[in-house]
Amino acid sequence: MISSIIGAFPYAAQLLLQAQPQPFLKRFEPTLVNFLMLSFLLFVVGVAGVLSRRNIIIIFMSIELILNAVNLNLIAFSRYLQLNEAALKSKGLEISPLAGPVFTIFIIVVAAAEAAVGLGIVIAMFRNRETVSIDEIDLLKW
Amino acid sequence: MQLYGWEAALFYLLAIMTLFMGVFVVTARIAVHSALFLIATLVNVALLFILLRAEFVAGVQILVYVGGVMVLFLFVIMLVQTRAEEEARVQLYTKQTWPAVIIALLLAVSFYFAMSPAQTAFRPADAAATASTAAADTGERSESGAGYISSDTQKVGDALYRQAALPFEVASLLLLVAIVGAVLLARGTKQEKYYE
Repeated sequence: MISSIIGAFPYAAQLLLQAQPQPFLKRFEPTLVNFLMLSFLLFVVGVAGVLSRRNIIIIFMSIELILNAVNLNLIAFSRYLQLNEAALKSKGLEISPLAGPVFTIFIIVVAAAEAAVGLGIVIAMFRNRETVSIDEIDLLKW
Repeated sequence: MQLYGWEAALFYLLAIMTLFMGVFVVTARIAVHSALFLIATLVNVALLFILLRAEFVAGVQILVYVGGVMVLFLFVIMLVQTRAEEEARVQLYTKQTWPAVIIALLLAVSFYFAMSPAQTAFRPADAAATASTAAADTGERSESGAGYISSDTQKVGDALYRQAALPFEVASLLLLVAIVGAVLLARGTKQEKYYE
């Protein structure tokens, strides 16, 4: 995973020098797996942000990072399904490649609605308690 | 699904930029900087969508996510004073930072082990598969490269209005409920007393 990211630099250098693709560098040509790795790394960054920040607005932004990682995953699979439809149909798998973008649009809609309502709650909470750090909103704590 | 040549270099550039911007979102001290880094991340993800030939979702992402949700975030950051964090009078991270990092690493390790048996399943199985994928890719282009209009928007719109019409209407109802809820939560009591 890290090697596939670091492998970008010799790949770009080879492109700039117009050399023939070496067999060694062919390994770094991005396929579906590279997109999935990027999606899950973004997801992990979002989870770390949700769990470790004190400001509730930054936590909301990390949730948006998580949702974007999921969107990237869906669209990558949609492109993969779109390209390999014949090969997958011969193996008996028939999923419409349009399911990716359609579901992604619904995820974006739900994320917008959730951000609106969540930020309304943040404003109401700030009006009452004059703070946005989650450590100090602990009335329900035992 | 293999990207060649400049698409591959562009993928690596966008991937590294997305990850760096994501990390800066989480670790920025000033809240406005965090919002701007998130805007950069969302734009990078939209460019990745265009790389994956999903132009409609890229447009929706820029219009709705960057143009709507992030502007909402910036307005709320304006209304909520975060001076104490910027002037380093309070801490940025909760006291559970180390357990958070450990949980994130455990999640990463578990994803890696879940995905590595599947890696061989995503390689093209035989020459026929690669030939058909190459044909499917070039069959969408028109003759002139600059005047290439993809049919992705038409197909996605078709699907949204035909197969996914019910979730589409339910999503509009959800947006109505969210609007009413946000207005109700954010309106102040001072305004109510004025009107009564």
